[in-house]
Amino acid sequence: MSSKTLVSLCRKNSSATPRRTLATVSPSIPVSHQKPKIKPTLLTSIILNRSPILTPTPTPFERAYYSYQARLRRALSNPFPYDFYFKQGSILETRFTLEERRRERISFGRQFGIADDLDAEKAAANKAAAEQLAEQEGERDELMPRVHPSDEARDYKSLDRKGRRNLYLLLEAKEGVWRFPQGDVKKGELLHQSAQRDLLAECGERMDTWIVSRNPVGHYKLPKKSSTAKDEIAFFYKAHILAGQVQPNLETVKDFAWLTKQEIESRVPQHYWFGVKDILSDH
Amino acid sequence: MTSFLASSSRELVAPRIIYTQIRCYARKQTGMDPKQDIIRRAIYPGNIRNKPTPTGTWRPDVEKALQRSIPSVQAHETIERAWLLHKRHIRKRREAELERKFECMKRAMEELARIDSQLYYEANKPENPRARTDEEASLIRTLKGSEAKTLDARIRGLFPRELRPPTDTPSRNGWKYDYKPFYRPL
Repeated sequence: MSSKTLVSLCRKNSSATPRRTLATVSPSIPVSHQKPKIKPTLLTSIILNRSPILTPTPTPFERAYYSYQARLRRALSNPFPYDFYFKQGSILETRFTLEERRRERISFGRQFGIADDLDAEKAAANKAAAEQLAEQEGERDELMPRVHPSDEARDYKSLDRKGRRNLYLLLEAKEGVWRFPQGDVKKGELLHQSAQRDLLAECGERMDTWIVSRNPVGHYKLPKKSSTAKDEIAFFYKAHILAGQVQPNLETVKDFAWLTKQEIESRVPQHYWFGVKDILSDH
Repeated sequence: MTSFLASSSRELVAPRIIYTQIRCYARKQTGMDPKQDIIRRAIYPGNIRNKPTPTGTWRPDVEKALQRSIPSVQAHETIERAWLLHKRHIRKRREAELERKFECMKRAMEELARIDSQLYYEANKPENPRARTDEEASLIRTLKGSEAKTLDARIRGLFPRELRPPTDTPSRNGWKYDYKPFYRPL
């Protein structure tokens, strides 16, 4: 089949030129290796991320493709040795036969999956037995819906909102400006340690957080307050929240919100946004 | 597979040699327990290879089923190409995002190296997952058994156990808002 040859062609190409990882491919930007005359003030900032709770919803095309492939697989696969797996005449076999016939009808149409014994009484008895079995095994329990009430209520403080997306913590500082949790670096302290300390200081200790690594994931040069003032550079550290909730320190922080990348864009000043947007996940 | 679409008539030609040379372990034996028979048939499928599948068996109405599944050869190929294209779009988007994130990280490290070489050196130090800092060692001596285990459980440089992979439906209790803080020295 030419589709097979197309696929095999693709595979051959990938093995011929092995894909290089980012560290070797990315072009080195010419960086001025001269040390700055006055050492800038260092700040650490934390990008606290709530990872997705739910799997992504398949698009209509994906769903159609998956059902098409399932149909093909069902058409081409060996007949299932049900006499090996189910005891003849047991309720499990009855339930399996019912479910299998239904699956056949869904895949191929009404001409398939027709019962051999069309005795109406027997069919009803089979169905009742299968229902009873399902109840016994507790398969009637309802699953939780994927949309949480906080989605409809637009509760930006909730950590259950937007289960499929990445949520990031944004704080409203005293001046009404939204930013990530931030703080200064004490003398003799390493950057990732100061990041942890700053997070606890601004957002409280009732959160289980995990800072991913010692390396900063980005940096941002704050706009200079006056021409004589020192340069301020903030280094961002990525962290995950695993449990708990933010309890903002009301001396420095007015309000907090858990927002997706698009919602952050609308709240944060534009200069800050351009410095920060490449660090965040699109989805 | 094209043969199914072309014509539905096939002829079973099994040369007589096969029956004499191969011992058919799955042959039906009279007077045997049907359960043993079923097991034997499952473990030793037939030897006769008269169809393209590895075990030589299609479902009985395979031509009809295939005609219901595949609209046409061209349609199947178009679907396959559309899927590969879709996957390519997703892959390129993901790769572009990773590249942007990596560039941010690289620029941050270069800036740090320019500003303070000691901090840069410390940031680049590889994490030793088996090491315990002095602070941790002194803390663990004061803790109870279960609390010491909790302290040891979070290993530097490895993902924590509580970072759950996404599921199709959320948990019944939702997010765990009441968390009792546990002090972990960095």
